[in-house]
Amino acid sequence: MSNAPPRHELFLLDEGQDKVEVKMDTRVPNTAVFTFNREDHTLGNLLTAHLHKYKDVTFAAYKVEHPLKPLFILRVGTDGGISPKDAVVRCCSDIITTLDKVSREFTKEMELFKIARGGESNGV
Amino acid sequence: MDYMDMDTGDNEPAINVRDSNDLNVNFILRNVDLSLANSLRRVVQSEVPTMAIDLVEIESNTSVLPDEFIAHRLGLIPLTSGNIEKVQYSRDCDCDDYCEKCSVTLSLDARCTDERSNMHLYSRDFMVSNRADLSVGNPVIRDPQGKGILIAKLRKGQEIKMKCIAKKGIAKEHAKWMPTAAVGFEYDPNNLLRHLDLWYEENAKEEWPVSENGKLEPTQEEQEVFDFDATPNRFYVNLETVGGVEADRCFQQGITVLQNKLADIISALSPELANNNPVDDYQPRSPGAGGDDYGNGTSYGGGFSTHGPGAQSSYGGQRTEYAGMTSYGGNY
Ligand SMILES: [Zn+2]
Repeated sequence: MSNAPPRHELFLLDEGQDKVEVKMDTRVPNTAVFTFNREDHTLGNLLTAHLHKYKDVTFAAYKVEHPLKPLFILRVGTDGGISPKDAVVRCCSDIITTLDKVSREFTKEMELFKIARGGESNGV
Repeated sequence: MDYMDMDTGDNEPAINVRDSNDLNVNFILRNVDLSLANSLRRVVQSEVPTMAIDLVEIESNTSVLPDEFIAHRLGLIPLTSGNIEKVQYSRDCDCDDYCEKCSVTLSLDARCTDERSNMHLYSRDFMVSNRADLSVGNPVIRDPQGKGILIAKLRKGQEIKMKCIAKKGIAKEHAKWMPTAAVGFEYDPNNLLRHLDLWYEENAKEEWPVSENGKLEPTQEEQEVFDFDATPNRFYVNLETVGGVEADRCFQQGITVLQNKLADIISALSPELANNNPVDDYQPRSPGAGGDDYGNGTSYGGGFSTHGPGAQSSYGGQRTEYAGMTSYGGNY
């Protein structure tokens, strides 16, 4: 119990800690290594899978180094058409747009469902 | 930079709601990536905020149950979390410990005086500090008798007197803040993609009858050739909550939480993008509230900023080097 890590460290940044740390890989061109602090597979898998859809991204993979470390590491390589950092930013904003569509579609379908069910109960 | 196969006409995200009530919503989500559907599931389960009892001040407990046993039970009682966005996290609040902006106080004060039978203490017996706003911090009561959850039983002369402080939190911190019970999540029910290796005694086909969702998709027999490029794009979701929030609202909140998470990354990576259009007033669109204004869009697409004070540190400050960073270039 006494050496258990505080539970909020899974999602709360330490004082002065950056959310994302970027480091260019000096051995491979157009490749950067991102450390996402206080994030997990929810974001790691989401970003990696979506980065694979971009033509300019030649490499994207993430790992959670250790289950007790509340961070994941994302490596992104591109063909030079876009910087790795811009690819990640672009990826995030594209997913936000997709989520907006999901939200709107869900709202619409819920309304339709309520109307359909309302009609049913009136008919019977 | 362009997409290979996203956002092309018919491939827009689509949803088909199959069943819905306040506890449960069952729908098919189509034309999104598996990673997106799965991240939504994870976020809905572990990062949508709710209210739960977090502090218990025990004035008197002469029941047979020890203090910490009762405190644990109290934490697990589902509380209404409808207007959760109006509640602040205690750690972000200006107050020293807790206040009405960041907490709800539920008091228990019971003493058994009956010689013949035990007294049952239920979650309906809480005195809630903000009875007026039923949508936040009130015990969820769904049984026909309206009693709620049995907390403890008292014999004659025994008494329980406690002050419980409910706070806002997320399930990543403690499972008591989970808004959901079970979240069903299925794709490719007939295993056409061969993501599964079916276990069987003698004959996989006989021993694995086609499931309900499987009837909606081609069977393995109907599949002519195996498609090596196929990806899952129909997800059968059943989202059930514990009663604190309506199921459909819970899903919408999950979407918002995930969007905020991504917006935080954008503002961390390019602060210049983040500052031109704050979206702090972004509210999840609640079903039934907006009518036909779907075309509106939200303030997302353009600029981004963080949500929640204190969460964001300044970009470009000091960076930490982790021990593993130097040596892992080649081992993905
Ligand atoms: Zn406060």
